Amino acid sequence: MTLKNAKILSAAFAIAVAFCVCWKPVQVKAGVQDEAKDPMAAENVKRGTKLFQSNCAFCHGPTAKGSSTGPSLIDSSPVRHDKDGDLIGAVIRQGRMDKGMPPFTTLDAAQISDLVAYLHARVQATDSRETAGPKSGYQLKHLLTGDPAAGKAYFEGQGGCVKCHSVTGDLSGVATKYQPTELEGKLLYPRGKPSKATVTQRDGRKFSGTLSHVDQFYVAVIDTNGRYRSWDRSNVKVEVEDPISGHLALLAKYTNKDVHDLFAYLETLK
Amino acid sequence: MISLPIWKRSSKLRFAWIILLTMPASLQAQKEFASGSIAPVREQWTTFHGDSSGKRFSALTQINRDNIKSLTLAWAFQAHSTTIKATPLMVDGVLYFTVPDHTWAVDAKTGTKIWEYVRPSEGNHIGNRGVAYYKERIYIGTPDAHLVCLDAHDGKKLWEVEVADVKFGYYISLAPQIVKDLVLVGTSGDQADVPHAIHAYNWQTGKQVWQTSTTPLKMGDPGSETWPNEKTMLRGGGAAWMSGTYDPDLNLVYWGSANPHPVLAGPVRKGNNLFTNTILAMDADTGKVKWYFQVNPHDTHDWDAVQTPILFDAPYKGRQRKLLAQASGNGYYFLLDRETGEHLVTAPFVTQDWSKGIDEKGAPIPDPDKEPHSDGALTASAGFGGTDWMSSSYDPQTRCIYVTGREGYSFWYLALDENGLAADHQGGGSLALYSKYYTIAIDYETGKVKWRREAGEGYGFPGILTTAGHLLLTGDLDGNVLALDPADGKALWHKRLGGTMNSTPMTYQVDGRQYLITCVDSVVYAWSLPETN
Repeated sequence: MTLKNAKILSAAFAIAVAFCVCWKPVQVKAGVQDEAKDPMAAENVKRGTKLFQSNCAFCHGPTAKGSSTGPSLIDSSPVRHDKDGDLIGAVIRQGRMDKGMPPFTTLDAAQISDLVAYLHARVQATDSRETAGPKSGYQLKHLLTGDPAAGKAYFEGQGGCVKCHSVTGDLSGVATKYQPTELEGKLLYPRGKPSKATVTQRDGRKFSGTLSHVDQFYVAVIDTNGRYRSWDRSNVKVEVEDPISGHLALLAKYTNKDVHDLFAYLETLK
Repeated sequence: MISLPIWKRSSKLRFAWIILLTMPASLQAQKEFASGSIAPVREQWTTFHGDSSGKRFSALTQINRDNIKSLTLAWAFQAHSTTIKATPLMVDGVLYFTVPDHTWAVDAKTGTKIWEYVRPSEGNHIGNRGVAYYKERIYIGTPDAHLVCLDAHDGKKLWEVEVADVKFGYYISLAPQIVKDLVLVGTSGDQADVPHAIHAYNWQTGKQVWQTSTTPLKMGDPGSETWPNEKTMLRGGGAAWMSGTYDPDLNLVYWGSANPHPVLAGPVRKGNNLFTNTILAMDADTGKVKWYFQVNPHDTHDWDAVQTPILFDAPYKGRQRKLLAQASGNGYYFLLDRETGEHLVTAPFVTQDWSKGIDEKGAPIPDPDKEPHSDGALTASAGFGGTDWMSSSYDPQTRCIYVTGREGYSFWYLALDENGLAADHQGGGSLALYSKYYTIAIDYETGKVKWRREAGEGYGFPGILTTAGHLLLTGDLDGNVLALDPADGKALWHKRLGGTMNSTPMTYQVDGRQYLITCVDSVVYAWSLPETN
């Protein structure tokens, strides 16, 4: 391949990548955990998981949390103090005959290393606040208990959602854009939408724009020309328009069923 | 013209004169501001709370409602650190404060650094609330759950002991508490299934004198009947992550405990889960629990009940009582008799809907509809409770408890694994949707809210100090530090210091000059009145 051809090819490849990035919506598979954050997803941990199930789970339980015949390894001091197998390795090789655990002499060094990796990952996953909760991509099957038809009715009627939203406009394909709990959080109270404010000076002049700050003492807006302006509150009248005030008002009214129904409806918008 | 009282520790004769001249007023104040024999906080600020009562009320009056507008910056100290969450101590002209891994001694008049003690460690570095001082020694808790004793003069380490095993997620964020010749600490940490305890050590040797677990350790022990079985009970919880208060007349130490484990997974630990989320009254010499009051049976929202149990003496229904008040993480105000534990008042100080009423003992009854569900449950409560570790205050002049409270909405998920156990340590998770803060004045006797002032949206931890100068010092989430009138919450003074105050103001007087300390981010700001010469 000549240098020129290589350049053309790489340029074509770059365009193809750019095309994909530009035209393909960002896909986050609903209900699938973010593998980068999942300590159980590493290759050696996956091998260790299989070894644990066939050699250890009978006594220590399927997730190392213990069973009626063996203790939890999550709450084990040697496991938590282990560095690269220096404590766990000896227990696997020599057993703990006084406590009824036989030595596992058939496991080689690489397998013991994988088991050690598995146990460290299990401790990390068990201690974590993010492996099972909403940040992890909590499983969709748990969340879809609502009635999409009832959610649609609420969306179009009682909820008043159509005043600001459209399922063929801003919410088109919304279920493909966010992980389930992320979508549920946005449904309940979306963030990051700045308020609008109009400040009226004593001389009657009005300034409207994006609210930058407001408290009891001062107010600041970015006006329509992009200029920052601030005032002592005692000198001006301030009107604030919060674009998500409708969501706040609904939080005071929702039943759990309303939320689950609405969520089930939004999950149909693919 | 400001009148500065002259007071020097070395001048006994002059001190005697001052006492003679001001005796009627000071005796009256002494009586009015004291909690039993606990003298009011004046020139020095010798404990995390100022004194052992937890009132966070100073009898100093040089800076007051009438002159606060002329307050000026005396000095500032740049710690170049993480956020200061500590309340500094001031002993003999020196301020002592901390962030995780760092302790400073600073000249209280000039802000000049005297020494810095650095001890890098593993473990949770979420924050450190400060030091304890006793007999020229400084005590700190560490991210790896050790108790360290330093020489107060030079910051050199004298000894350290391991309080708990950091590998199980234990850490210490609180400021240790001195009770007689004991140093008390408790452990933080709810990432692993471990029990917690309050530990008392000899001040000189570091030898443990007693240890009181906040959950029962075997079936048959008091409180074990509130757990389904021993295995579940031994998953523990009840972290003791805020230091308590002490009544020397009753020889009782009061601490609050935190949530049970797994944090959000109520179905796996049916029952009230004693002694989590409980106010404990312990014998100071033995740690033995004399009485307890559970403010939050079967917690599934991580509300915690570690907020300072404030000790003060005041009438209740016409009879003078030794009282204990807590504005608790669950959003309720509790008033108890601190001698007997008798329940007197339960009243909400914020709007919320997680409870469906008050039980016969005075504790809120959780509403199962608002507990975490696998498909999520909406609760009208800010994601981290009605208040947090930011200090509240009792002002004996207004007879109000002041607390930084918050309202809002949160959504709660339950996560169980295929065996019905908590899928991770939390056993679920929550979305903190919206929270709005208020500075709230609570009538101590009725629990009714007398006034409240909006303090911004979001999350932060500004605590409250009150003074005999008719001042309430605090901060808001809009970036202001504030002096409010404790009578009605009107702002008397405010300053923007470039961040949210995540600590509690304190005050002291050195060489006749009163200073007010506000820590914002990593900067200590010292305020005083302008010098008159």
